[in-house]
Amino acid sequence: MPETIEVCPLSELPPGEVRLVEHADLEIGVFNCEGTVYAIEDRCSHDDGPLVEGTLDESDCTIECPRHGSRFDLKTGRPKTLPAYLPVDTFAVIIDDDMIKLEVD
Amino acid sequence: MATPDLVTPAVPVLTENEQLAQINSDYTERYGFHDAEHYLYKAPKGLNREIVEKISEFKSEPAWMREFRLTALEHFYARPQPTWGSPMLAEVDYDDIRYFVRASERAERSWDDVPDDVKKTFDRLGIPEAERKFLSGVGAQYESEVVYHQINESLTKQGVIFTDMDTALREHEDIVREYFATIIPANDNKLASLNSAVWSGGSFVYVPPGVHVEMPLQAYFRINTESMGQFERTLIIADEGSYVHYVEGCTAPTYSASSLHSAVVELIAKPGARIRYTTVQNWSANVFNLVTKRAVAYEDATVEWVDCNLGSKLTMKYPSVYLMGERAHGEILSIAFAGKGQHQDAGGKIIHAAPNTTSNIFAKSISKDGGRGSYRGLLEIAKGAHGARSKVVCDALLLDEHSRSDTYPTIRISEDDVNVGHEATVSKVGDDQLFYLMSHGIPEDEASKLIVNGFIEPITKELPMEYAVEMNRLIELQMEGSIG
Repeated sequence: MPETIEVCPLSELPPGEVRLVEHADLEIGVFNCEGTVYAIEDRCSHDDGPLVEGTLDESDCTIECPRHGSRFDLKTGRPKTLPAYLPVDTFAVIIDDDMIKLEVD
Repeated sequence: MATPDLVTPAVPVLTENEQLAQINSDYTERYGFHDAEHYLYKAPKGLNREIVEKISEFKSEPAWMREFRLTALEHFYARPQPTWGSPMLAEVDYDDIRYFVRASERAERSWDDVPDDVKKTFDRLGIPEAERKFLSGVGAQYESEVVYHQINESLTKQGVIFTDMDTALREHEDIVREYFATIIPANDNKLASLNSAVWSGGSFVYVPPGVHVEMPLQAYFRINTESMGQFERTLIIADEGSYVHYVEGCTAPTYSASSLHSAVVELIAKPGARIRYTTVQNWSANVFNLVTKRAVAYEDATVEWVDCNLGSKLTMKYPSVYLMGERAHGEILSIAFAGKGQHQDAGGKIIHAAPNTTSNIFAKSISKDGGRGSYRGLLEIAKGAHGARSKVVCDALLLDEHSRSDTYPTIRISEDDVNVGHEATVSKVGDDQLFYLMSHGIPEDEASKLIVNGFIEPITKELPMEYAVEMNRLIELQMEGSIG
């Protein structure tokens, strides 16, 4: 069984909102993109930029790194633009009785 | 290691020497002239939101591009001026630049329709003649916009698109939107942000799958007015299995006030495609040349940058290739000549992001009369890019005691199964070399030129004949100290 952690009630993370979750040595960005919640590693694979501080594009389901502008696909963690070229980790999201939970193993 | 198909017939560089030595014109006479100004619009100096909106309005752009520009302007304001590279960067005065100058109503398809003054300039630079003789297509940019654009009809029939970037945005908006700024985002660096805010002109090339454009496409960039900013934007997409060679050249008049050239160039080589991009940069000595060039090569694709920097006050340019697919190949051939008052900070970057990818970086710099040449490069091999092979060679030649050469190579390797070689040399034209040649009856000036020509020959032989001859002629002028 993968370990799960609670983030917050879904009602506290409406569409367009972003939240940073810290767990052990992990920093995870949690994004509500037009009603669907995604979670990715909060570290740009190019220059360690903090992705939760970037610009969320809900229509494209991407987050733009504030440091050099790479856009990451929130569904896959893959960069859609350079200069980043390696994917970041993604985490499975479970909505359990209005609570957002992440699988972190 | 150069792949066999890259080898073009060797140009008889040294045998051209006598002929080249007879050319005694100087930069001011040949390139440094300027025309009378009959502009349709000349922006006041300075950068602000209003000028960015005006550029977008002039071009009747879609809303997304206008928003892209304005967001980029915010990025530009938010980023500090870089402090690395060259102390000359501190001299760039963004308030003393004109960000948009329109010389012509549109990009004409016949030289006869180009405004007379502008046409005379390009005639004098030999562009229409070159088009007739050995090119598949030509674009000519004067100040902010392209004034002439033409492509061989047979290529159009094969689906090749070669047009200016403004026209591409109007006529091929879907393709532009799909690829624009995906290789170099608006927030990549301060100069890329500036270009993204005020870009104008540049080339758009699309080559359909399997099409080989046998003769080069050429763009020529000309600055005419004082304190001008030229910010062209070029996007080249070579679809699967296609080939294209794009060549660019540039000159400007010599003024006491500085001008700024800051281009963004994005190349996309799809699986099996090959793009060769050749630059002969010959800006006058009052131009800051701060350019971002980047390419991506997918499976079995090849991207080659042939980058020759002779002019400008300061050039900072590091063309890069991201090798994203298995067996992709990247090649960077760089020549920089730094004369009096010049700093050429050039080099290249290769990122191996897939297995069995290969690359070469060959950089040569020559410094003379107190000039400064720098090699700045990055070789990166990502975890998982097993079987990657790369060779980096950077050589510097100092022609006197007052000149300077610096080398800043960075190598990052995150994979065990790779083969990487790095060589760097700095040499001075020695008294014994000169003595040897002079003892054979060759005058000292001529002997120095022979040594320089021999030094750069491995790279000039990769240029098409016409450009190799031009390159050697420019080196001759630099050796005489007459550029700028």
